[in-house]
Amino acid sequence: MLKGWPQHLRALGAIFRKDLQVFMSYPVNAVMRILEPLMWMTPVYFMARSFAVDGVNIGLRAYTGTTDYVAFFVLGAAISSYVSAVFWGMGFALKNEMDTGVLESNWLTPAPLLVQMLGRSLFSLFLTTVNMLMIGCCVWLLFGFEFTGRVLPALLTVAPLLVALYGFGLGLAGVVLITNNANNIIDLVSNNITILSGAHFPVTVLPRPLLAISLALPLTYAYDAVRGQLLGTTTLMPIAMAQAILVAFMFVTVTAGLIVFGRIQDRCRQMGTLAHH
Amino acid sequence: MSRAMVEVEELRKEFPRRGKSRQDPPVVAVAGVSFEIPQGEIFGLLGPNGAGKTTTIKMISTLLKPTSGSVRVAGKDAIRYPIQALRHLGTVLSGERSIYWKLTGRENLEYFAALYGLPARVARQRINALLDRFALTKRADENVERYSTGMRQRICLAKALLAEPDVLMLDEPTAGLDPQSARNLRDLIREVKSEGRTVLLTTHYMEEADQLCDRVAIFDHGQIIALNSPGALKHDLDDLNVLEADIARWDDAWGAALQERGAVNYDLRFDETARVHRLTVHLNGHLTTGEAVTELVNLGADIRQFSLKSPSLEDVFIRLTGKSLRE
Ligand SMILES: Nc1ncnc2c1ncn2[C@@H]1O[C@H](COP(=O)(O)OP(=O)(O)OP(=O)(O)O)[C@@H](O)[C@H]1O
Ligand SMILES: [Mg+2]
Repeated sequence: MLKGWPQHLRALGAIFRKDLQVFMSYPVNAVMRILEPLMWMTPVYFMARSFAVDGVNIGLRAYTGTTDYVAFFVLGAAISSYVSAVFWGMGFALKNEMDTGVLESNWLTPAPLLVQMLGRSLFSLFLTTVNMLMIGCCVWLLFGFEFTGRVLPALLTVAPLLVALYGFGLGLAGVVLITNNANNIIDLVSNNITILSGAHFPVTVLPRPLLAISLALPLTYAYDAVRGQLLGTTTLMPIAMAQAILVAFMFVTVTAGLIVFGRIQDRCRQMGTLAHH
Repeated sequence: MSRAMVEVEELRKEFPRRGKSRQDPPVVAVAGVSFEIPQGEIFGLLGPNGAGKTTTIKMISTLLKPTSGSVRVAGKDAIRYPIQALRHLGTVLSGERSIYWKLTGRENLEYFAALYGLPARVARQRINALLDRFALTKRADENVERYSTGMRQRICLAKALLAEPDVLMLDEPTAGLDPQSARNLRDLIREVKSEGRTVLLTTHYMEEADQLCDRVAIFDHGQIIALNSPGALKHDLDDLNVLEADIARWDDAWGAALQERGAVNYDLRFDETARVHRLTVHLNGHLTTGEAVTELVNLGADIRQFSLKSPSLEDVFIRLTGKSLRE
């Protein structure tokens, strides 16, 4: 038997492959899932065009300094897709396996639970990446957009965010283990955060009370900083500061996520609620 | 002397009562059981519904944390080092949903082989061998949802054997199988034993425990009320005659009368197909079988047929608890 890292990598690979196989066993759904993002992109583009005056989006420029709403939106959509991939990836997969009854079989193997959790997010990350690449290509082919900034520093900004999301997703997965209403919880948390953190619009348009909430969400700074880096928008705060906030956020959520997940997993073993229906 | 592969000591599990206040006493699912299973033995947990068999298996397989007590698997402390213990354990829980129905049999085995940490090449060889051995090769690339219950059970067994575990645990392995598939599965379990593996299984079919197990622990209300080989358990009832009679109508007063006359025990259940009450009476020297039959006839019982049986594990259970194993 493999031990240590080779064992973990093999388990991760197998979980990814299994999820891919299950995904492919519903072909219509698979095609839909891949094409879907293109469908919701199109109206956004034409809406943005209709708001523009002489091809220039004056309102957006006043708020952000850029007039390219499509690029502004695509970037936001990309980040928020990854956010929900990590949310759904773990919690939803867990819920699913609990309902079908295979979760206990997984827990009966010597693959550590954290590795199993991580594995459950890989396929949705992959699918999101496929979606984003497709959208990127289409948008670029059809409408064209240019980044004024460099991509690498922007990726460095989102890296701690992604790790932070794992912490969050892990904690949420823990909650899923002891509640029956996983979908509702995930939807509620995910949607509200996406809206309030400015995935689709500059948060500065929000009324004061909502803006206050928005500014309390580290995710807001991720959208803001990445747009600043790639599109040259005016940012809420210096980019370095946003990056620092994201790194701090990463440590907090990962620690909290591990603690919550560990506690709840322990509780499951105490109460025997792993297989409830 | 072979060493103990499973050691369970004073194992206890309490569940808080759902939706009640904290002051309510908890449900005691397992009330302190101890046993040791030497290598190469088939050990059975036999008991009625709710006796605590599944809970015991889940504690040994690390899915449940015991309230107190200890578990060792192949010498490893399963409570403190679950992953270590899991490397020596193959477990099949009851229910057919423990594998992915949307994957093929082979894909399922490939997936779990990886989770058990088998290198790809080793996994491939073992999967082919297991598929062959369990007569699944022909259907290996079909989705599990199209399998019969017996085939699914065999895939689950193959899954549990992938890592060549020292200990194989099976929760109600033959439940829901037709007699032919059940016999087939019991043969496979004997084969596993012949490879030197230790088998722990639960069942509430006493014939199964009798045929299959080297030793049986009889569970009731979370406790082991007897533990021995089936032969020895039945031998303890040597002084006992077992009368079985099919009766058209039953009156509880008759049972009381039989006991008054010296019957040790009696048990009754209704046979749905024959539409008769099947009465089992335990007798020792105080009342002979002939006297018992006469007594019943005098009381007005319409006896369709009767026979004498040698004691079974069921009779052991009735003798120990005063009730029947299957309800
Ligand atoms: N997660 C749980 N929460 C609360 N009570 C439980 C839980 N699991 C089992 N129990 C209770 O513990 C007792 C023992 O259950 P267990 O499933 O171990 O019995 P069993 O011998 O396997 O029975 P069966 O033959 O029905 O499978 C039962 O009274 C059951 O209701
Ligand atoms: Mg059970």
